[in-house]
Amino acid sequence: MSILNDIPILSIILLSPLLGLLVVLLLPKHRSSWMKAAVIITTLVPLVLSLWLYANFDKQQGGAAFEEQYDWVEVPLNKELQDANGVSSILFKFQYELGIDGLSLPLILLTVLVTAMAALASVHIKKRWKSFFVWFLLLETGMLGVFLARDLFLFFIFFEITLIAMYFLIGIWGYFNRERAANQFLIYNGIGSAIMLFAFVLLVNTAGFHIDQAGEQASFIYSGSYGDILHNLTDPAAWVNLSSSQLGMSNPFQMTDTLQWAIFIMLLVAFGIKLPVFPFHTWMLKVHTEAPTSIVMIHSGILLKMGAYGLLRFGILLFPEQAREWAFVLAVLGLINILYGALLAFRQKDFKLVLAYSSISHMGIVLLGLAAFNEIGLQGAIFQLVSHGLISALLFLIVGSIYERTGTTMLSELGGLARSMPFMSGVLLTAGLASLGLPGLSGFVGEILSFLGLFETMRWLTAVALLGVILTAVYVLRAVLKITFGPEPDTFGALKDARLIEAVPMIVLLAFILLLGCYPSVLTDTLQSSLGGLYDQLFATRAGG
Amino acid sequence: MNSMLPSYLTMAAILFCIGLYGALVKRNAIVVLLSLELMLNAVNLNLIAFSKYGVVPSLTGQIFSLFTITVAAAEAAIGVAILIALFRSRGTVNVDEFNKMRR
Amino acid sequence: MDIYSQTAWLIPLFPLAAFLVLMALGRGYRRAGVFIGSVGSLAAFILSLIIVIDRLGANSVDYNYAFDWIVIGDYTLRIGFEVTNLTALMLTVVTLVSFLVNVYSAGYMKKDERITVYYGYVALFTFSMLGLVLSDNLLSLYIFWELVGVCSFLLIGFWFTLPKARAAAKKAFIVTRIGDAGLLLGILLLFWYMPDHALDFTRIQSVFAGHSGSIANGVTTLIALLIFAGAVGKSGQFPLHVWLPDAMEGPTPISALIHAATMVAAGVFLVARTYDIFLASAAAMETIAYIGGFTAIFAATIALAQNDIKRILAYSTVSQLGYMMMALGLGSLTGGIFHLFTHAFFKALLFLGAGSIIHAVHTQNIKEMGGLGSKMRLTAWTFGIGALALSGIPPLSGFWSKDLILTIALEQNPLLFAASLAAAFCTALYMSRLFFLVFTGKPTAAASKAKESPISMTVPLIVLAILAIVSGFVETPWNGWFGSWLSGEEEAAHGSSFAIIASILVGFLGIYTGWIWYGKESSRRSAVADKSPGLVKLLERGYFVDDLYAAVFVKPLKAMGDVLTFFDVHVIGGIVRIVGAAAISTGRTAARLQNGQVQTYSVTAVIGLVIIVAAIALRRFLS
Repeated sequence: MSILNDIPILSIILLSPLLGLLVVLLLPKHRSSWMKAAVIITTLVPLVLSLWLYANFDKQQGGAAFEEQYDWVEVPLNKELQDANGVSSILFKFQYELGIDGLSLPLILLTVLVTAMAALASVHIKKRWKSFFVWFLLLETGMLGVFLARDLFLFFIFFEITLIAMYFLIGIWGYFNRERAANQFLIYNGIGSAIMLFAFVLLVNTAGFHIDQAGEQASFIYSGSYGDILHNLTDPAAWVNLSSSQLGMSNPFQMTDTLQWAIFIMLLVAFGIKLPVFPFHTWMLKVHTEAPTSIVMIHSGILLKMGAYGLLRFGILLFPEQAREWAFVLAVLGLINILYGALLAFRQKDFKLVLAYSSISHMGIVLLGLAAFNEIGLQGAIFQLVSHGLISALLFLIVGSIYERTGTTMLSELGGLARSMPFMSGVLLTAGLASLGLPGLSGFVGEILSFLGLFETMRWLTAVALLGVILTAVYVLRAVLKITFGPEPDTFGALKDARLIEAVPMIVLLAFILLLGCYPSVLTDTLQSSLGGLYDQLFATRAGG
Repeated sequence: MNSMLPSYLTMAAILFCIGLYGALVKRNAIVVLLSLELMLNAVNLNLIAFSKYGVVPSLTGQIFSLFTITVAAAEAAIGVAILIALFRSRGTVNVDEFNKMRR
Repeated sequence: MDIYSQTAWLIPLFPLAAFLVLMALGRGYRRAGVFIGSVGSLAAFILSLIIVIDRLGANSVDYNYAFDWIVIGDYTLRIGFEVTNLTALMLTVVTLVSFLVNVYSAGYMKKDERITVYYGYVALFTFSMLGLVLSDNLLSLYIFWELVGVCSFLLIGFWFTLPKARAAAKKAFIVTRIGDAGLLLGILLLFWYMPDHALDFTRIQSVFAGHSGSIANGVTTLIALLIFAGAVGKSGQFPLHVWLPDAMEGPTPISALIHAATMVAAGVFLVARTYDIFLASAAAMETIAYIGGFTAIFAATIALAQNDIKRILAYSTVSQLGYMMMALGLGSLTGGIFHLFTHAFFKALLFLGAGSIIHAVHTQNIKEMGGLGSKMRLTAWTFGIGALALSGIPPLSGFWSKDLILTIALEQNPLLFAASLAAAFCTALYMSRLFFLVFTGKPTAAASKAKESPISMTVPLIVLAILAIVSGFVETPWNGWFGSWLSGEEEAAHGSSFAIIASILVGFLGIYTGWIWYGKESSRRSAVADKSPGLVKLLERGYFVDDLYAAVFVKPLKAMGDVLTFFDVHVIGGIVRIVGAAAISTGRTAARLQNGQVQTYSVTAVIGLVIIVAAIALRRFLS
């Protein structure tokens, strides 16, 4: 065990897709089947390792055993300042720091699982396999990095990697309006990233500041480490929390109330765009309709979750007081998302758009869970993230397969597929039921936990949000039944049911949806262990002040 | 003696500004070239003034000005040569029509 | 003694296993499908029977087992099962009807190519229904509650290529979902108000029955009404009754199993299970009683004018469920459950009989039937028994249970007594209309070729007919055994001769009227309808409730969706486009600087230089 602990398992998980990327690069261009095999095997590596991680995740320690930290970038500041302050060095210090806890572990599992399934679904790709798989694997590294990184700078870099990889994946391999979709994606998310970067810079320059005393030599360090920043924000003796009068001199690093609010709101907007929160949602409609199947699986399955993850880890955990004060705002945003998404999904003519708006609606539930500000709600939100990731990946996988056969995703042109494709229609129906929150499938648990949590604090709002439960049933059934039930149009030739390579990811995803729905403790217990810690942290400030 | 320095420098500055103005504003390429020469000469004037009245007077400045004159001559020769070539091909010496590289 | 109750968790597993095996088998293995499905439900039935017989003794103890489902901090959500006399009774009813329907379907669905899938769905339904019955707390009940809803949805839409079946399935799911949202809200309320956040029925009972005052009256009423909302949806009470008649698009055995005997009764079961909450709130009780009573008469009148044999029975089911709800609302748990118990048998019998008829004549319109009595003797006899039981003719089972409810209504609320008496009259009338139109008179073209159904279909009819005759004797005005067994307390047998006489009279009067109007060979069968076409039209369309909902809910919802879509595309999308256009035009302007003119570039450079120099100079100057 101790030997195993010395292995940098997180780095291996993070970097294994890059290794696969090298292999793909070395393979000759026309060997598409080799490449596909290589990619599929590559995506299985982090999957297996993450499962191992899950199995060995110490529920008491909360994943502390799996932290890795190396010095990475140090930028010394100018000499004059150094001399003036009489310290040996003044540094910007960014570390290669990885870590997991109960919050990131489920999302990592989700990432590797959905990516592996998306790799299987990538066999549809018909052109330029090589560069597709290169970007694909880069995207996986980026996503894993986002969830693993414990340094602001590192996080930002991985966040941007996903952005760039997605840009090309949508823009080159998408459907008809792919370039527009890619541009819109890039612009929106670019704005989000810029705001996030600004917030991070402010954070590093205030909360990141600490003095490292090594013997006589003291060094001033601006650190990007998440742990340092969190520690400084909660430690009343840290520079960031000292006012000028307490210090007896002017304190350029003090985190004033205004600054806290500014950073919190910036983070809210930055991750809100990613989530997406109404009214920043238009970009993802295009992505959902234009991106190729495997990419849209990843997009709605994982990338949207990065928004919620960032919001939780940086927005809410760093600024619990602000978040608590704004809980109502979060809840109202969530409510708008739920109802707005549902109503719009109800009237869409393209099945992909139905699913896109349904994603908005479901992300609203996540916001509600976060806004609840209690443990149940928090768990519900994360559960909903994982569950929606699986469900939407599955739904988009089926949509892709249907499109491949019928050449359309318009509801008016589809119908009666249950006759010729019973397996796929069955899976589609089950996935639809999961998405409308049928007990026994994962969607229900996320929903009920979020609602339970929110109900403690905001009764009326929860009652209104329950309308969403009804509306979800309305739009899901409308769309799914239109496709699977009813008479089959004569325009379709003989439609074949799912091939093995399509059936495998469907079954795997469905199995996980069932597992989480029937026995949610596999996830909640893991969450519990470290969320307990996060939770204490979240409310330490409340108890203290 | 030192009181001469500001006069030289002022003179050089005026020359330089005239040259700069000409280089930036004039449309005729030959005038632009002439303006460049003017600027170079303003620099030469500075070099010589400093070499004579500077804190540490030395010959270096004057030698440098000689270099500059040489370079300026070469530059003017090449510049005019290019201009002639351009005039042959395009029939004009107006700088604002020389934007073919943009497209 | 409790050994059998402890094994109750096995009961739902039989049909679950059957479901899994059937799904794994796929569409082939048609014979095996029938066999597996039937055996699964038979095994469940036998075990339930053992348990209920075991519990017939005087003081059997409730058995409860639960495990943690989700633990979050100090909160625990549990799943478990509990065996009480009520659940044991329900187990038996569900498994018995399920088994009979399985057997019956072997004949009825013989020619369907998806018969294995059908048996799979039925097995899944049986599993969910048993899980619902066995649940020991509200949350796990809710889980199975939704599952039975889905199974019902799947089976209504079983013939999925028909657009009508698709619409009916969708409607059933969504309408019940409205009630379910209420139930969910009720559960949320209960979760936060109950001490220790317990949701199990035992704790609910001890908290509410004790009148400990820990939960305010208003909240109690609210919780009760929200739970009742769930029951309204599931049990097809007004105003959420609209899905049940449409649900008849499903195969007829399914109508018997789900939409007559078991699932629709789940609402009644739910109220009975959480009865202490209702008892703690007089207002909630009153609401239930009035909604139940109104539904009873409301649906019974609609049934008078329907021409589809299954829709008549469906409205009849709605009406009878109204009786049960009314009994519960009037404070008689026994009355409600007793009627549920007897109704399960005779209504399943009627539906299966109707299935037998449809199987023979291939139409559901009673106007196209006639004279089937001589062609299908067995069906006619058993159907007649069911119809008499439903009409409340002694000594059949329906009489005893309906009489109990009438007696209670007479004691408590004369208005509801009058309503239920009127409903009883309508019941007898529409059943006799149905019976006479279908079985007597001259055979029509469709009926002339009819043959008696195969043995697999008639045997269940006979079994159910026997049960429809005898099942009423467990509780008579002179013997309150059933009530005391159910509640565990000695209940006084209460009989009222007035109620008995009134109910018998009304029953016979209804049948007589039916015979006058529809039965006599001399009378024209459409004579009554011709006299008041407006009324008939009103009843035929079910008081236009569907049209009302379409106008009040569906259309505005669609309109709202359209408005929002417009808003999304043009306003939000428009803002995005404006921002985009602004960015692009800024870019264009900036690109104009890049004009290829060396002079422009140098001017820019010089300006920049000047600014830098000025800035440096200014800084020096300032410091």
